[in-house]
Amino acid sequence: MFDHIDPRSPTPLYAQIASRLRLAVSAGELRPGDALPSVRRLASQLRVNPATVVQAYRDLEAEGFLDMRQGTGTFVRDVPVGRRTSERVYQATLLVRQLIANASRLGVSLDELHSAILEEMGAKAS
Amino acid sequence: MTHAIAIRGLHYRAGRSFEIPNLDLSVPTGSIYGFLGPNGSGKTTTIRLVLGLLRPRAGDIRVLDRPMPHDAPRVLARVGYVPEQPHLDPTLTVREVLRFQGAFYPTWDHAWAEELLVAFDLDEHRLFGKLSKGQKGKVMMLLALAQRPDLLVLDEPTDGLDPVVRRDMLAALLDYVSEHGATVFISSHLVHELERMCDWIGVMDQGRLVTELPMERFKRGIKRLVVSGAPPIGDPTPFSVLSREPNGASSETWLVRGWEPEMQAFFETGGASLQRVIDLDLEEGFVELLRTFRTPRREEVR
Amino acid sequence: MFRVILYAQWKWSRLVVTLGTIAAFILPILSVQGASPLPASPMRAGEILTMVQAWGVLYPVLAAALGLLVAIATWAPDHRGRHVHALSLPLPRWRYVLLRFGAGLVLLAAPALAVLAGAVFATRFAAIPSGLQGYPVALAIRFGVAVLVAYAVFFAVSAGTTRTAGVILAAIGGVVVVQVLAGLANIHLDVLTPLQGALLLWPGPLAIFTGRWMLIDV
Repeated sequence: MFDHIDPRSPTPLYAQIASRLRLAVSAGELRPGDALPSVRRLASQLRVNPATVVQAYRDLEAEGFLDMRQGTGTFVRDVPVGRRTSERVYQATLLVRQLIANASRLGVSLDELHSAILEEMGAKAS
Repeated sequence: MTHAIAIRGLHYRAGRSFEIPNLDLSVPTGSIYGFLGPNGSGKTTTIRLVLGLLRPRAGDIRVLDRPMPHDAPRVLARVGYVPEQPHLDPTLTVREVLRFQGAFYPTWDHAWAEELLVAFDLDEHRLFGKLSKGQKGKVMMLLALAQRPDLLVLDEPTDGLDPVVRRDMLAALLDYVSEHGATVFISSHLVHELERMCDWIGVMDQGRLVTELPMERFKRGIKRLVVSGAPPIGDPTPFSVLSREPNGASSETWLVRGWEPEMQAFFETGGASLQRVIDLDLEEGFVELLRTFRTPRREEVR
Repeated sequence: MFRVILYAQWKWSRLVVTLGTIAAFILPILSVQGASPLPASPMRAGEILTMVQAWGVLYPVLAAALGLLVAIATWAPDHRGRHVHALSLPLPRWRYVLLRFGAGLVLLAAPALAVLAGAVFATRFAAIPSGLQGYPVALAIRFGVAVLVAYAVFFAVSAGTTRTAGVILAAIGGVVVVQVLAGLANIHLDVLTPLQGALLLWPGPLAIFTGRWMLIDV
């Protein structure tokens, strides 16, 4: 799940981890009640500072995605549908923003980009 | 105890060529502090001074709140050390090495040492001298961890080792740190590894500490700016300009330190325009920092 | 801690100690060969003394060799690793050195006891002519002390840095050079003889090695 954690990215690692988890919950990859790896295990697995994992988990707990229960572990909460949808929408917005920025840097016009998107989506559908 | 390692005004000299003139360095307790610097910059010497293996000429070194090298025996009982070169007896087997080391540390955890032996896939009956480089590295990490130290001092522990071994060693290290809350002081050339796990960074060059600050601030603060209509050299700036290079006729690329996003305003008022802000990863930031630290600062503006 | 240091030291020097112990046991026995109780003609006092004295030359050699080899075996691994491991252990240097010294002593007890055993055995079963006596215990004690002195000297030299060892050798070399130059210049300067006397004659530290080592004597 965490293959794309990139320390070189300007986004701090805790934000990357939190973002990935947020999306996983919103997309249904993680169901309510699922146990998340302990801070210790995740830090060791990703070879990141445990404080990084703690921060990611705490942020998500504050947002209502997770429940950190002393002694038992960290579990996914039942997040309302609306919240999950808005998260996915937000992630989509981020993707599009990045796409547009990259396109402009390469000199691709918005129209060219738009046609390319429609073509690819058409190809996917069929 | 706010700092696991506190160095003030350290002066060390070896022969005529190498000198650490005046070093101040602080490793906050509970942090994972990455120590970067080119070869010959004095990293290993600093580590040896911290551990009491060398005596300074002047200055104050406190480790776990005790003076070094004066209190070395007591302090070293709580410090796990992984040196650059394997320093163990090659004629002992892995099992014998474990037994030897374990006899010196009251906090030695036999059960965990056994677990790590299995996790690291080490053959306890092989002679230490006959192990591969990676296996030797794993044994040394095992010894440092099984001691259950409050501070780990690691001198390029994974350099020259293959990715699988590096992964295993760092996973075990972080597992311990999560559980015990130990402080880690690690020097390495593998900048990207440090980038993942360190929350503090110290850069050393030619016997001096160039910079020391939290990792995020270092990465956020060092940027390349693409600027057009740039103000003349000499104008005061809210950030420090490490270098300026022209990009053709119309713009320049500035390398700056101490950048904050609000500083965009500086360009708007000055009549110049900031076209792009380029992030640098730790390795690039480190390289650029050293490059500008060494060359005469003709263009440096504070 | 002592146990693991002793174990490591045993691992390094077990060959030397084992061979040395065997040699130490055999030496007294060889020195009385031919003096068994049932010979064709019993040996005369003079013959026995000559034989014992001849073999006796080997005791100081064996003692010095054991002291040297065990001392070297103690410090070689440390020197190779430039003392990093030892210095990173949580105990004061002097204690570490003391533990190492003690470990070597324990190992060297074996050949010393072997001399005692061999000497007692030899004097028990040899036909000692009247007028002569066996001194197994005295011989064994002397051997033990000689081993101790040799070990202590070589241990001290090896424990130092290579620079210290170099300084010692340079000092010795310097004395020799001074003596030679004085001789060439016809100056009557004798440095070596008094120095020799101080070291090798009683109560000098190396006196124990000189003189005759007699298992059987008048």
